[in-house]
Amino acid sequence: MKKTFGKIFVIFWKDMLTEIRSREMIIPVLVFALLVLVIFSFAFGTGADTAAPGVLWVALTFGGVTGLNRVFAVEKENSRMEGLMLCPVDRAVIYWGKVAGSFTFMLALALVVTPIFLALFNLPLFLPGLALIIALALLGFAAVGTLFSAMAVNTRAREILLPILFLPVVVPVIIAAVQATGPVLAGMPWEEMVIYLQIITAFDIIYLVAATLVFEFVIEE
Amino acid sequence: MNGKRQLGNRILLGLGFALMVAALYMVFIYAPTEKNTGIVQRIFYFHVPVAWVSFLAFFVTFVASILYLAKREMKWDAVACASAEVGVIFTTLVLLTGPIWAKAAWGIWWTWDARLTTSLVLWLIYIAYLLVRSLAPEADRSARYSAVIGIVGFIDVPIVFIAVNLWRTQHPSTIIFSGGLTGEMLQTLVVCIAAFTVLYILLVMQSAGLKRMEAAIQRLRSLQEE
Amino acid sequence: MENLGYLLAAYTVIWAVVFGYVFLMQRRQRQLQRQLDKLQKTAEK
Repeated sequence: MKKTFGKIFVIFWKDMLTEIRSREMIIPVLVFALLVLVIFSFAFGTGADTAAPGVLWVALTFGGVTGLNRVFAVEKENSRMEGLMLCPVDRAVIYWGKVAGSFTFMLALALVVTPIFLALFNLPLFLPGLALIIALALLGFAAVGTLFSAMAVNTRAREILLPILFLPVVVPVIIAAVQATGPVLAGMPWEEMVIYLQIITAFDIIYLVAATLVFEFVIEE
Repeated sequence: MNGKRQLGNRILLGLGFALMVAALYMVFIYAPTEKNTGIVQRIFYFHVPVAWVSFLAFFVTFVASILYLAKREMKWDAVACASAEVGVIFTTLVLLTGPIWAKAAWGIWWTWDARLTTSLVLWLIYIAYLLVRSLAPEADRSARYSAVIGIVGFIDVPIVFIAVNLWRTQHPSTIIFSGGLTGEMLQTLVVCIAAFTVLYILLVMQSAGLKRMEAAIQRLRSLQEE
Repeated sequence: MENLGYLLAAYTVIWAVVFGYVFLMQRRQRQLQRQLDKLQKTAEK
């Protein structure tokens, strides 16, 4: 068991190191997410109760998708997929390593985008409830997005195929996240949003399990 | 073997035709007119069976996808793909007849109600399924990938429905579908469901047959190139 | 009776789509059959 965690960590850490050293992915995606935030603020107005939750989640969703595009792109471009495949690891380990990487990436994105969002909409900056919603929802994004990214990378038109696959499937997460964010931003009590958190958590568990089972079929050559 | 299949096909075709005729009679003559929305309510007798069959279609794709990944026999891939294709067509019909009915009965095209919205998301998921098949380079890969989508997409259905339902009960529109079903209405509905299910089976058989022909041609071509 | 137009529209849509699909499948079948025959012939040579 401990060995499995170790292997997952190795895959995760390799991707982290690559990204930390080059920073070629995080900065453009971050800029893109901020642009989405601003443009959608223009599009939908700055009413904190009506438009705000939607604007935040649109920025996180589209920023997230853009980041997910790159999960397997590095391996594919440098033909290192075969190298990864030759490692004597359970395919699920590769999946979990990649999920950890995507999740961390999107979390880093949220860490920058969210405070800016809160400031733009004149909302309180310390919101632990919001942090929980974001963490759970981004985990769902990572679970689904990593699986689909592995598929999309091997097809033509890969950059557009990932959003087409990903967005319909994560609709429940987006709906629940937006509906939960509203009350939190308004300072309403916990009970209002618990049911939505339950939906997101259920989604996360179901998809992490399902993707783990199914990942080997995607990555076999 | 072929003779028996021909016979089965003929029987299905005859049964389907008979059911459709019965359905038409029941929908337009046998069933009583509903008092609230009038004649337009009869769209319901085709709208609901088509929705039910579309869910059936995606369920079949789900099962066939699992069978394909387990056994790797191309016939399961053909069934999965054919069922997804027919499912998308039927979902398109749901999305077309629903708004027509809504506009006629309540004056607006779209109410974001849970069932229709779930159909919309389902439509998008399975269009992605068909797109992956056309964009994946080799036959084996497209079969594998779409099988994964067939499985992963279907388990989303209940989650989407629950999420949308919750969302809509918090922000309800003013439209409520009231009124119960009389005995005759229920009978009409059942006959229509049966008729469309048989239609579904016939369409999937035809479509799956075509997919298998295509696969056979691919195999023959690659053999000849050697 | 003014809603008859909508009723007609809904049923027309259903039959148009279903028959359209059937027609497309028949056409595809003819295409595939031609290709299959051609391949058979070249195989026999």
